[in-house]
Amino acid sequence: MSAAAWICLLAPLGAALAITLAGQRLSRRGAGYLATASVGASFVAAVVVFVLLLGDSPNNREHPSVAWHWLTAGSYTFNLGILVDPLSTYMMLIVAGVGFLIVAYSIGYMDGDDEERRYFAYMALFVFSMLLLVQAGNLLILLAGWGMVGLSSYLLIGFWHERPEAVAAAKKAFVMNAFGDAAMALGLFLLVQQTGSLDFGVVFPAAGGLSPTVANLVALGLLGGAVAKSAQLPLQTWLPDAMEGPTPVSALIHAATMVTAGVYLIVRTNAIFEAAPTVQEVAAGLGAATLLMAGLIALVQTDIKRVIAYSTMSQIGYMFLAAGIGAYADGMFHLLTHAFFKALLFLAAGIVIHALSGEQDLRKMGGLRHKLPRTYWSFIVGGLALAGIPVFSGFFSKDPILSSALAQGWYGEILWVVGMVGCFLTGLYTFRMIFLAFWGEEKDGDLHAPEKDVPGISMGVTVAILTVLAAIAGFLQVFELWTPVSNWLDPVAPPLVVPTSTQEVVSSLVAVTLGLGGIGVAWWIYGARRAEAPEPSKLLEHKFYFDELYDAIFYRPAVLLAHGLLRFVERPLVFGSLRELTQGVRELGTGVRNLQTGLVRTYAFAIAASLAVVTLVFVVVR
Amino acid sequence: MMGPNIVWYLCVSAFLFTTGAAGVLIRRSPLIILLSLEIMLNGANLALIAFSRYHGTGDGQIFALTVMAVAAAEVVVGLGLIVAMARRRLELDVDKLRTLRG
Repeated sequence: MSAAAWICLLAPLGAALAITLAGQRLSRRGAGYLATASVGASFVAAVVVFVLLLGDSPNNREHPSVAWHWLTAGSYTFNLGILVDPLSTYMMLIVAGVGFLIVAYSIGYMDGDDEERRYFAYMALFVFSMLLLVQAGNLLILLAGWGMVGLSSYLLIGFWHERPEAVAAAKKAFVMNAFGDAAMALGLFLLVQQTGSLDFGVVFPAAGGLSPTVANLVALGLLGGAVAKSAQLPLQTWLPDAMEGPTPVSALIHAATMVTAGVYLIVRTNAIFEAAPTVQEVAAGLGAATLLMAGLIALVQTDIKRVIAYSTMSQIGYMFLAAGIGAYADGMFHLLTHAFFKALLFLAAGIVIHALSGEQDLRKMGGLRHKLPRTYWSFIVGGLALAGIPVFSGFFSKDPILSSALAQGWYGEILWVVGMVGCFLTGLYTFRMIFLAFWGEEKDGDLHAPEKDVPGISMGVTVAILTVLAAIAGFLQVFELWTPVSNWLDPVAPPLVVPTSTQEVVSSLVAVTLGLGGIGVAWWIYGARRAEAPEPSKLLEHKFYFDELYDAIFYRPAVLLAHGLLRFVERPLVFGSLRELTQGVRELGTGVRNLQTGLVRTYAFAIAASLAVVTLVFVVVR
Repeated sequence: MMGPNIVWYLCVSAFLFTTGAAGVLIRRSPLIILLSLEIMLNGANLALIAFSRYHGTGDGQIFALTVMAVAAAEVVVGLGLIVAMARRRLELDVDKLRTLRG
């Protein structure tokens, strides 16, 4: 079992190294095939691990495996080790499975790009980093994976490095994530100081014994990391900008896998968070606030990818809410279905963008359902799943989260209301996007003349597979009637809250009604055009002024400080003293130069005179 | 065998040395400067030998021989330079040779 897990982890790393080292000897197409094959191998290995794990008894499914002692510092030792347990296997299946489909899709999407090899090397590196993150056997390795996914994300957002916006977006994502990484590292420092280890097996049982202050601080550090990686309030501003990367990157990293790492972290370290209930409530509150805010902003976005990006943020808000109130399995189940339908939406959007030769502006699209009928139906399936309409996957995963919130006292009821508003907004913004792009009149111009419907086998087939998955994946868990996901994950993260049947029925009814209501309003305004679309408010267009706020709080003062230091410290002190020094040396040189007359007789005279002086001194002193 | 008082020797030596030094400082012809240098060296040699006799040891005489050898070498180089100057039809005047001025 361990061997399969290691193969799953290392196959993409091998592909990344091979593509890098082979360089020109490997054809561009070959690089794509190699990356796809390696991620596919990872998926097969993950399935093997899963099947083997199924054979164990449910409470005996933890299999740590240590490759070697990584480092020893004083009395602390850290192993380069992985942990195979239900949670990590679940994540391995998602990462490798969805990753395989998206890398395969990339073969078609990136065809003809100048730097395909680099792209596929980065993609394989990302999959390796993400697998390292989810398979890590201790928090140090997890932190290493955490940093490496940030790096891969940076590299891939800035993949089209000749575009200044892409480079700026990559930097923004990296800096924002660095805040989170630092917070997490601080939390881990405190944790290792208190418990003497970072191994899951040691830390989690010890978490209950931490003093409340320490537990709160550690949980806050971890939450900081999770919030940055998952683009939740208040570190959310990097995600929309990250859409500058290629579309499959947005699908894989900024929708299906990396941004959900924060949810994984909270579920993985649930023992620590349960020792700090206040921080857990903060996590749930942040999730709720984010899902509401992102849903509102998504209403006014005009870039098709940014609508989906804000929707991602909003859906991760639901997962945070679930993880915060202790409905871990529900959060993880939503993570799974979200990976399917959000990857589907991104990849389908990629087909649209491809067909329109790079156009991403919704206002310039229209009437595409006649030209791209199959993509249109994929979008419809993805949109219905996202809006949580019954039989599609989002319905089965989102509603348990809301009913769990309802079972959590007055705080949960507030969250429940926010989540319900989110449901309405989800339906509204999703179908606004679909109606704007696919309905209405066809616009003129070359941009809007897609050549053919299905753009090659690699893009068409992967989107078809994801469409099917987005439609049916919900049946993996049907409320309390059929709960394989909860059964699988509960030994790792036992739920803190179980809703009653009444609460589930009420939640589902309200959520579906609101989702349908959102779709209806979208149809009324954007589909049937029976009403004028309201003017987008300035507040929403400026994304609640977060960018401006951070600009004013951090960027401007830093620039002012730098200017001040340049003007009052660097120029007068550092540059000034150097200038004086060089000036002095030069003047000294000019002075001394005059002594060298070139006249032999002056030298001789100097020697004779000084000799005479020396003699005199000797004589007189004696 | 006592000979004149050592002071006389030293007086002659000093006279020779200052004569040579004055020649080096005043004259401009390299040939004369070389000659004056020789006179200075010989003044010094005289002092060495006088002290050698005065103390009754041979050290000073050995030094004088060394100085003569060095002087011979120096003359060879110096005269070689002068011949080279003459060949290039340069004026034999050390004040004209000022290329190394700073």
